[in-house]
Amino acid sequence: MNDKRKSSLKVALHCMDGRTYKTMVMYLQGPCKGAAAVVEDLDAEVDIIDADSINAKALLEQKLAENSSRPIIVLSLQELKLDNALYVRKPIKTVEMLEALSKAEALLAVKQKSNENVQTSKKLFINTDERKKTSKHQTAMHLDEGNFNAFIGSIPGLDVNDPKQFPNASYNPKEYFQGYFQSACLIAQTKKQVLHLNSGWKSLIIFPHNHEIWFDADDKQLRSFAGLPIKSLSGAGMSLTPASAHALSANRELDKFHNVDAFLWKLAVWSSRGRYPVALDIDRPVFLKHWPNFTRLIVTPHALRISALLIAGPRTLPDIAETLKIKPQYVFVFISAAHALGLVKQAKRQSDEIIQPPAIKKNTERQGLLTRILSKLRGNKS
Amino acid sequence: MSQYKIIFTGPVGAGKTTAIESISDVPPVKTDAAASDMTKNKKASTTVAMDYGIMNLAGGEKIHLYGTPGQERFDFMWDILTTGGIGLILLLDNTRADPFQDMKFFLDSFQSFIAKTNVAIGVTQMDLSDKPAINDYHVQLQGMGLNPPVFSVDARVKNDVSILVQSLLYSLDPELEE
Repeated sequence: MNDKRKSSLKVALHCMDGRTYKTMVMYLQGPCKGAAAVVEDLDAEVDIIDADSINAKALLEQKLAENSSRPIIVLSLQELKLDNALYVRKPIKTVEMLEALSKAEALLAVKQKSNENVQTSKKLFINTDERKKTSKHQTAMHLDEGNFNAFIGSIPGLDVNDPKQFPNASYNPKEYFQGYFQSACLIAQTKKQVLHLNSGWKSLIIFPHNHEIWFDADDKQLRSFAGLPIKSLSGAGMSLTPASAHALSANRELDKFHNVDAFLWKLAVWSSRGRYPVALDIDRPVFLKHWPNFTRLIVTPHALRISALLIAGPRTLPDIAETLKIKPQYVFVFISAAHALGLVKQAKRQSDEIIQPPAIKKNTERQGLLTRILSKLRGNKS
Repeated sequence: MSQYKIIFTGPVGAGKTTAIESISDVPPVKTDAAASDMTKNKKASTTVAMDYGIMNLAGGEKIHLYGTPGQERFDFMWDILTTGGIGLILLLDNTRADPFQDMKFFLDSFQSFIAKTNVAIGVTQMDLSDKPAINDYHVQLQGMGLNPPVFSVDARVKNDVSILVQSLLYSLDPELEE
């Protein structure tokens, strides 16, 4: 190390578990005699990456792509040849580590000199426009049983809560704007191309790279449009075209950007109106891949309970309603929205149909406590 | 009367103090101090011991909300804090260099507590950095054999914090009634 340097080189450690991290901190203090000190990432001058960890490849690629002034030291069991990073073979030998730190310090001096007049931001991961996309970051809207029917509407002549009418309580998303939108998103994603969905109504542009759409209509208008079968509107007029250069370059209002999932969830809620997707067999169990991002979605009645139950194990739709003692329409509408996002799938394993779903352990004392906390959080009088 | 706790944890600047403030019935007791070490570029003050808030329930019951200090040097306190806890809220800052590493670190550190209770994860600052996306977190978690709730959270918004805590409670018992 350079003797002229009065303080230790500031290094950030990456891709190390807690134990390795602590060991490295002590190693740099002890055997390396304080040649380097571990600091928070933002304060570091040099990055040290454990290339043998799972996330290392992506991080290393990212760091190299950033081309920042920070030298990178890569630790690995395997010999690596990297153009813009220093390599130290594991198990680490102190001489080699000190040599790498010394080289890093020299590189740092050169890079700092060339960057003398350049102000660099330390928070590298901030996108200043993102905050202005207010619709994307709006908190969830809660629907309770009281305002559910008024919000989503109903199907004339059909009682979706009557088990005898279950066979007729399905809907086909392809017959609604939901289906066209899903197909358009899939095409945009596959082609990796910004596309314009022309509905003959409002302009909708799909940006597959950011998983965003730009759409200029309020929820009230969208709800009416989403609930009507397309064939009764302008099905033939629905088309998908590459977005023009003008559309892409236009200075679009940022608050009209929406997350694709949140938009599709809304569409499915309004298309379903308490029915379930025709693609699902309600007599066979379904499973939930993972929890939906509820803070940015419309939370339909009992949606959190249904999610928790399905995460515990696959169940049929009527069984969910029975277990939670809720109207089937609340199960159907949730399943429709989650299915649209690809989160709900029909359980295919034979064991899912043979094995009973796990019984919920009853602990009435604790249930009482948790219910009172929930009541408090939901703003009920408690 | 029994003492019930919900624990909030996560790295420095993830919003633990703010989240507790969002749902506490009393002004939270903060133990912040001027940041003078590696946290100084992130925020003016940081939690050096713990935060504490209260939710008052019917019948005089209280739920104690504890926020762990974000700095690793205080991890000896975590075992003491979690004793008797109902569950864990993990908040992660999406603008940090490697939020997955943060997530793994805290899930590992609280592994035995999570095994006995449950965890719900809130990802903050997504309005500043929308990558990694929530789905990316699920991919990482499923690789670890976990499937907890993971939501975008603005810790200043009560509704966001409330939904996150509700998901934790329903994970503990889906048959709880609304």
